Amino acid sequence: MKQNLVKIFLRVLPVLFGVFFLLLIILSVNLMMTSPFSSEEDTGGESLKKYHYAFYLPSTKSAFFSELEKGALDASEALNCAITFHSSDEGTEDLQMSPWSGVNGLAVYLHERDNSIARIFNSITDAGIPIVQIENSIDLNDKTFFIGTNGFEVGKAIGNLIERSPRAGNDVVLVYSQKNPGFMADSNLIEMGLKSADEDRHLNIRTAYTTLNSLDAEKITYDLLNREKQPGFIVLTDPRDTLVTIQTIVDLNLVGTVQIIGFGQDESITEYIEKGILLGSIVRNPYRIGYNAVLALKEISESGYTSAFVDTGINVLASPHLKGDT
Amino acid sequence: MKIVPDRNSLQSKLMYWLVISLTITSLSLGFSLFYTMKLQRVGELRFEREQYLNDLQTLLDDLQPPLENYMGTRSSSSLGKLLYLEETIRETLPENRYIPESRTGLLLREIYFLIDGYLNEVNLIIEEKRGRKVQAYTLRYEQLSQMYSYISRRVDAASLSGFRSQLEEYRHFMELFGKMQTYSLLLILLAVIFSFSFLLQTMNSLSHPLQSLSAMAEKISTGNFEINDISVNSVTEVNRVALAFNNMKNSIHHYIEEMKKKTEMEQQIMNERLRNMKMEQILKRMELYTMQAQMNPHFLFNTINTGVQLAIVEEAEKTADFMENLAALFRYNIRESKFFIPLRHEYDGLISYFEILKIRFPKTLNPEIKVPEELLDKFECPAMILQPLAENSVLHAFKTKEGIGKITVEIKSLPPFLELSVTDNGTGISEDIISQLLVPHTHEYQLSSKVMGLENVIQRLYFFYPEQKDVITINSRKGEGTEIIIRINTEAEPCIGL
Repeated sequence: MKQNLVKIFLRVLPVLFGVFFLLLIILSVNLMMTSPFSSEEDTGGESLKKYHYAFYLPSTKSAFFSELEKGALDASEALNCAITFHSSDEGTEDLQMSPWSGVNGLAVYLHERDNSIARIFNSITDAGIPIVQIENSIDLNDKTFFIGTNGFEVGKAIGNLIERSPRAGNDVVLVYSQKNPGFMADSNLIEMGLKSADEDRHLNIRTAYTTLNSLDAEKITYDLLNREKQPGFIVLTDPRDTLVTIQTIVDLNLVGTVQIIGFGQDESITEYIEKGILLGSIVRNPYRIGYNAVLALKEISESGYTSAFVDTGINVLASPHLKGDT
Repeated sequence: MKIVPDRNSLQSKLMYWLVISLTITSLSLGFSLFYTMKLQRVGELRFEREQYLNDLQTLLDDLQPPLENYMGTRSSSSLGKLLYLEETIRETLPENRYIPESRTGLLLREIYFLIDGYLNEVNLIIEEKRGRKVQAYTLRYEQLSQMYSYISRRVDAASLSGFRSQLEEYRHFMELFGKMQTYSLLLILLAVIFSFSFLLQTMNSLSHPLQSLSAMAEKISTGNFEINDISVNSVTEVNRVALAFNNMKNSIHHYIEEMKKKTEMEQQIMNERLRNMKMEQILKRMELYTMQAQMNPHFLFNTINTGVQLAIVEEAEKTADFMENLAALFRYNIRESKFFIPLRHEYDGLISYFEILKIRFPKTLNPEIKVPEELLDKFECPAMILQPLAENSVLHAFKTKEGIGKITVEIKSLPPFLELSVTDNGTGISEDIISQLLVPHTHEYQLSSKVMGLENVIQRLYFFYPEQKDVITINSRKGEGTEIIIRINTEAEPCIGL
């Protein structure tokens, strides 16, 4: 019996270790083949892409641009493109050099009109590189394209919220922010849209500006509220500014006295809207903007053209206490 | 003749497994070596990239003085150097401008394109300088300077980015290298264990049957052939040895069984023979007793006849002598129940008989005895041999012959023989009868009651001395007489034991 067991054991032993050996070989080969070092070519083990697009965005670290970048990156993954992000804040040198950089297209987010920009855009488009302007059409011509939110539509949506507000008053303060510079560039369109929605209030529109400082909105709010004539409506164009302003209004016990129209779709903002503290919020879709920018660039690369103007639309979150529906 | 390789043979198995073990070991070592070299190569390539960038930057830096010099002086040597460097840089740049995914890769690609663009601008500015387009080359020179600065910054950025990414990459690389080393070590270990386990299996497949064979041989050496045949499942050679061993064991067993049967049969035969010999001796003894016993009725019958005749013819003294001698003879006969008796006893018996004969045949028969006195107590002889011979002469020698019948008994010592002779001058015995008489009878021979005294004596002598054919001889001539000579070898032991 014991001898038989030994015999079986000795018979199984080579097979067992042979199987282990083969498994380990397979495991080793698999490890090596799936590692980034499997190829001696310095591709870093990464897949090669068909197109290379450069995004020029403000270096501001905000949820808007993070989402935009995420949308662009997802699109690049889906569309087999490579994307590099450059700062549009640090001068125009990067843009100037882009005709020689080997990119297949540019997506540019600018918020200031500059004569040099138009010249650079011309040199880029002359080099056969298409440009998609994101959010702000600084220099829209037949060689550049636009993707983003229509400022007029944003203004119109804000006007509708004010019209539906149960509070009377026509004094509106539009607070632009460097954190979301697109609205600053499109301020005219927004105000036009706002006025277009004004039926009988005869809105008195004022503007204010916050910087990149996240607490800047608090000071602006205090300044506005400490004036002889308090505004009836404060419209924010940045989520962080919105939260800071609401907190200030709550602290000053002015909820309902001063109506706030915010920006963004954060969980806190949504909660404030449900409680009636916030009149409403304008929600853009930066993810879709980024995604569509890449999509448009690829269309141009492959077919030579795309829609000259792509509106990615907005959403409006409204308080349940508002009057009627638009 | 085609030789078919035996896959189960030890040689084949060792060969197969040696090849497999060597292959696996070589594979594991080769695998380890291959990937170690590959990883080393990959590592080298990563650092080569940094070196390559540095070389590119150096070439660009080297391009600046001749460019500046040419733009200032239009020196042909500067132009030559400029063009040479421009060509060198172009050759240095990779032709394959694939679009990678990583930022560093994309940055490198951008640098290559920027350098391409820069070199194209250099060519343009050279053309513009030659064409003396002062405004154009002035602006372009400014642009070139800006491009050069920008490329340098991008190279620095790429180096920095590369260095950062390489730090991370190096960590991954070392992790992978460590894993591969562990796997390689395990592979080698498994290969060794695999070979060792196979060696154990082979050793076991050899040693186990051999141990069984050894144990079996030990049992057989003690004479135990009843054990079962050994059954092994090993290599062909060992299987053959086991088969041959089983055959040998069975053959020896069979042979021993046959030997036993043969011995038993021989023992039975021996026993049978011994029994037969005993039976034969008993029969001979019975025959001897029978023959000896036959003498008495003859003698008694004849004596009684003589006594009767004597009583008719005359009574008185002769009858007394006759009866005295008869009594002596009876006494002799009764007393001598042994096979061998002293010669004197035989002589005394014969004297008594001759005295009776002298009474019976006083005028026609002359019996005579010639015996040296010193022989009588010196030798022995078979009992009842002389009287029957003398009686035979009395009965047959003188039936048809007239005259005085003479019977002479003579005993002589002719060392080593004692010769006893009975001679008569009767009618003689024919050759045929002599031949018939001198044939030794086997025990199957049926003694008849009519056997004569002569025949009885002859057969007893043949019985006592079977090896001595001339123990008794008969010399006879028709009408002249017969001489019967008995030659007893006094040195030979008579065959009387039963």
